[in-house]
Amino acid sequence: MNLVSGRPLAVIAKVIFVSIALAILGLLAISAFTAGEIAIAAFLALSMIAIAWVYFTNVSVPLKFFLPGIIFLIGFVVVPILYTIVMSGFQYRTGNYISKPEALERVQALGVVQDESMTTYDVTVGRLENGELALLATDYLAGTYFISDSDSKVEIASTDVELNEFEVAVSAPGFEALPPDELAAMDSELSSLRFYSEDSYYLVLEGFEVASLYTQVLEYDAASDSLTNIQTGDVFKDNGRGNYANINNSEDVLIPGWRAPIWFENYAKLFSDPKVREPLVAVFIWTVTFAFLTVLTQFAFGLLLALALNKAIRGRRIYRIILILPYAIPSIMSILVWAGMFNTEFGAINALLGQQIAWFLDPNFARAAVIVVNLWLGFPYFYLVSSGSLQAIPADYSEAAAIDGASPRQIFWQITLPLLLKILTPLLIASFAFNFNNFNLIYLLTGGGPRATLDGEIAGATDILISYTYQIAFGSNVQDLGLASAISVVIFVIVAAISLYGVKKSKVLDEFV
Amino acid sequence: MTKWLRDNLWRHAVALGAVGFALFPIYMVVISSLNPTGSLQVTSFVPNEISFINYTQLFTDPTIPFMTWMWNSLYIAGLVSIVSVIIGAASAFAFSRLRFKGKKLGLQTLLLVQMFPAILALAAVFVIMERVYNFAPEIGLGTQAGLMLVYLGGSMGVNIWLLKGFVDSIPLELDEAAKIDGASPMQIYWQIFIPLAAPVLAVVTLLTFIGTFNEYILARLFLVEMETRTVAVGLQQFIGGQFSTNWGAFAAGSIIASIPIVVIFLSLQKYIVAGLTAGSVKG
Repeated sequence: MNLVSGRPLAVIAKVIFVSIALAILGLLAISAFTAGEIAIAAFLALSMIAIAWVYFTNVSVPLKFFLPGIIFLIGFVVVPILYTIVMSGFQYRTGNYISKPEALERVQALGVVQDESMTTYDVTVGRLENGELALLATDYLAGTYFISDSDSKVEIASTDVELNEFEVAVSAPGFEALPPDELAAMDSELSSLRFYSEDSYYLVLEGFEVASLYTQVLEYDAASDSLTNIQTGDVFKDNGRGNYANINNSEDVLIPGWRAPIWFENYAKLFSDPKVREPLVAVFIWTVTFAFLTVLTQFAFGLLLALALNKAIRGRRIYRIILILPYAIPSIMSILVWAGMFNTEFGAINALLGQQIAWFLDPNFARAAVIVVNLWLGFPYFYLVSSGSLQAIPADYSEAAAIDGASPRQIFWQITLPLLLKILTPLLIASFAFNFNNFNLIYLLTGGGPRATLDGEIAGATDILISYTYQIAFGSNVQDLGLASAISVVIFVIVAAISLYGVKKSKVLDEFV
Repeated sequence: MTKWLRDNLWRHAVALGAVGFALFPIYMVVISSLNPTGSLQVTSFVPNEISFINYTQLFTDPTIPFMTWMWNSLYIAGLVSIVSVIIGAASAFAFSRLRFKGKKLGLQTLLLVQMFPAILALAAVFVIMERVYNFAPEIGLGTQAGLMLVYLGGSMGVNIWLLKGFVDSIPLELDEAAKIDGASPMQIYWQIFIPLAAPVLAVVTLLTFIGTFNEYILARLFLVEMETRTVAVGLQQFIGGQFSTNWGAFAAGSIIASIPIVVIFLSLQKYIVAGLTAGSVKG
């Protein structure tokens, strides 16, 4: 133990800081535990142990520097990534969102039918003498009255009830109607209550004054984990894919289902299901095209500028400041401004061109717009890095070539450019990887569109993989988190491969130790 | 004269063309913000009437809490960038200067983790913060505090990388000398490293600030209440519905929102460019 080393002031500061952190985490852990969030409570508790252990002993000096960063990274980056990988193995979509016990409860609640003659009664909601909620029902046809609570039904003689102006019983001995304000306050609770009637039938309130007769037709058998429809005799069993399905007809499933492990099916779908594969392939091709064209145009334009301004011409400083502006303005603002400028009726682009082009309704115009906007956003970056790199290339090379009689053009293509590419390759790769996932641009400029929503198509003409995945997970009518997670993992593998290649090129890894 | 033309004319032509391209949207947004009709429609490229009504609307219209949005953005980005650099600097120092087992593995893991596109883990982050809300509503889904926690986690990987790059460029001799004199790693960190790295830390703080300021989708998902929104989400939602009618106010708002970032960027140009070549791409 090494609680008291170092200067007293530093030690006191350390003890105070660490204690505050532990106290906050401890409080959170306790409330997480009481709220039933065991996994989060465990994570918090482990963090506490790690903090106390690292900062109050001398077990590892590097860990003293790392720990806060590690805790944040694990909590908000690593865990979500692992969770995404887990989700990709599940049937996890609209209709299969909840856990199995929740789904069973819902299926049973939905597995009721009204009796055949659609019987309804006029009722008064009230309490029995023991405080239990009950209904005082009036049966017009039979001219009888009864009180029904959760487990019994008692006939009341017509002489004992008090009727209102509509001939509906409102009070009876041992029964007191609820006052209106109490009734209103219990609204949601009342509609879920079941009041006893004959056999398997029970009464359910429809509003405050009418009750209908229902019966449970789906019966659950816990031993075989199956549901039986007692009217038709159909048996529904867990199909292993998150639904109870009719054993004679696998298409006939009870909804809602639950999220169930289906292992690699989401991944298999990417290749085998044409409804998933075809849009995905189209989106993938556009993603690569978009990222490639973006890097190419940005780099070419940036390099051209760098070459043009690679000489102390008049006004170079002013040019430079203006040319950096697109890069300095928050991209989110400029994307929204561009979106307005491409407006068909009112936009500045059409006004300038004197045309009425529907930029975001035609796939090719939309794609061109995306490239142009991204060129605007990104050329200053390549201008900056290219001019920096141009200065890093020794002038001797081109001078020597010039003496040997090379033309400026030859010098550029055969000496400057290859050298420049060698320096800038890692940045070009990083830029490719960044644009591969340039969500904000696509989402805020075109929203991925145009897309044929009427045909139920989710993939738009300018959708890149990441915006398409977002659309699958959050955007469309059928939200499929399982499939979206599987695509995410695939994108991750692609981007990681590209970036690792870039890193290897730049030799960052060699400098590690 | 002809030699001058041959050597320099094309340079000016290229530069002027690029300047036109760069300034066109900026010019459009400026004249839109001064256009009293507040509409997107371009009637003329030269304003025939200048008014500040769009700016006054931003500050007086009670349905547009622009100042609150602006403050939210500055506050969230400010706090996140400072805390993130404090935490990140310590990790970067350890990666750059200390020797320990598993250093290479740690850096590789960091690199890999950082490549997972944050937006794709969105669903998971959402579910986790939903659960946090169940027991600690103050830092769960829908709160700025929760959003800041997520930003902190997300910025960690990039910042550690970026800071490590900078730290590597600080000469080793100084801390070697201190080590020989018997200084502990803690003393080296606080008394040698931090003072030397202060300008670098400031630059990375500002880069994080810009990155956080620019973040859109998490802020959009997290901040549902009008009063808690960041300026980007607020303005985007604001033009979302009535694109053409709110355009003037949007233009004015985006200009005001951009000014702090542009000022920071231009004044620190030199350092930021150094950071860019070290391998970061602005978001």
